[in-house]
Amino acid sequence: MASALRSAILRHIRVPATQALAANGSRLTAVRLMSSHDDHITKDEVINRVLDVVKCFPKVDPSKVSPEVHFEKDLGLDSLDTVEIVMALEEEFKLEIPDKEAVRIESCEHAIEYIYNHPMSS
Amino acid sequence: MGASIGPRLSGMQKQVLALYRGFLRAARSKPVEERRQIESIVSAEFHKNSKQVDRKNFIYIEYLLHRGKKQLDQLKSPDTVGLSSLSVDSSRTRNSSS
Amino acid sequence: MATGLIRRAISRVHSSPAAKLVVARAHASEAKAHQSESKQQPNIKSFQIYRWSPDNPGKPELKEYKIDLKECGPMVLDALIKIKNEIDPSLTFRRSCREGICGSCAMNIDGCNGLACLTKIDSGAESTITPLPHMFVIKDLVVDMTNFYNQYKSIEPWLKRKTEPPTPGKEIPQSKSDRAKLDGMYECILCACCSTSCPSYWWNPESYLGPAALLHANRWIMDSRDEYTQERLDAVNDEFKLYRCHTILNCSRACPKGLNPGKHIQNIKRLELAS
Repeated sequence: MASALRSAILRHIRVPATQALAANGSRLTAVRLMSSHDDHITKDEVINRVLDVVKCFPKVDPSKVSPEVHFEKDLGLDSLDTVEIVMALEEEFKLEIPDKEAVRIESCEHAIEYIYNHPMSS
Repeated sequence: MGASIGPRLSGMQKQVLALYRGFLRAARSKPVEERRQIESIVSAEFHKNSKQVDRKNFIYIEYLLHRGKKQLDQLKSPDTVGLSSLSVDSSRTRNSSS
Repeated sequence: MATGLIRRAISRVHSSPAAKLVVARAHASEAKAHQSESKQQPNIKSFQIYRWSPDNPGKPELKEYKIDLKECGPMVLDALIKIKNEIDPSLTFRRSCREGICGSCAMNIDGCNGLACLTKIDSGAESTITPLPHMFVIKDLVVDMTNFYNQYKSIEPWLKRKTEPPTPGKEIPQSKSDRAKLDGMYECILCACCSTSCPSYWWNPESYLGPAALLHANRWIMDSRDEYTQERLDAVNDEFKLYRCHTILNCSRACPKGLNPGKHIQNIKRLELAS
């Protein structure tokens, strides 16, 4: 009787646990799916939209903008301008880029790479 | 502060950039018109200081960082709707949130 | 300034005979003082005062001011006010009550934290006055107290109850012996002399609450009327908030009100063990 009760309880406890795991797993796959196929944006689209944002920046000469261009070395921007561009990219792709990552984005190339690999960008 | 080459930023430069980012993020939560106003004042202030302040005057930069953090805290409050700047004398502008 | 006030007070009660007597005596002593002053040499003392202003952001410096102590009140605050009034109006410091109850004029005088209004001018030839150590300087001797006040706020310095007062709508009575438990704590005026003298507070000014906030934590923990004692103990039971106190006791040495914050921190630690 006691053992039956115990196993019943154990089963009862296990059930939600496995359910939670399954739910977690499926959410993970969903994210992975989104990042590589389906409705996730293509690399070309990322490149175009990043370049558009950079070209629209008031201090930038649009004719100089290319996917390889470096914000400070090639476009003559300073670190404050870079912050503004990264913030504008955040809004364009509806992202929140943490400070540690944001500091590393210093060229169109970095930006495109980061945004393309970011699972939440849209 | 803008002349740094590559990602090699000093701790103080990182703090300045983080503060600037903080201001721009806080501005997003305000109504469009106020947001533009905040962005233009904050941007002008940071760019002005980046050119005028001696980059080795750590005491003053720390003072500005500290003051900026306090102003940012005020700006973050939902009760704060905007930012205005007041020229105290010809050479200096000071921001105060209202 | 002080003599001006006295004169005004005297002239108001001019009609009574007693006051007339006082006036006469005051005049006599004033005349004597004048005589002796004219004979004696002035007693010049040099004050080295920390100066830094964001409006002219060079390096901070110690600026020298020389004043005649014969023409100055006895306290350091008197000297500061004299310097501001007569020599350099740009000298910036906080002051209000000039009697040790507001805590505004906390600063470092000859290496010790204290209230300028309660610290006698030292008889030595020179004194050095700097802001409270390890605090952000806003200008000259004025420091930013935001973090200090936020820490005070964080210990919830108000009476918290779970039950209604014994008589609803009325005060909560306290026995004399329970009230006596608050002696040595309620007198704190939050001048920050103790916290800013504490090396632990210098290194961890944000995570360690510091002696002043902890003294106030204990003040509410020990209050017989407060019903959140355990919650308060739990709130400060933290490696950094409380246990950065290493019983250095600079706090107790610094307190211009003669309180002993170190003892009250010990009391919290003891209660944490018991709870």
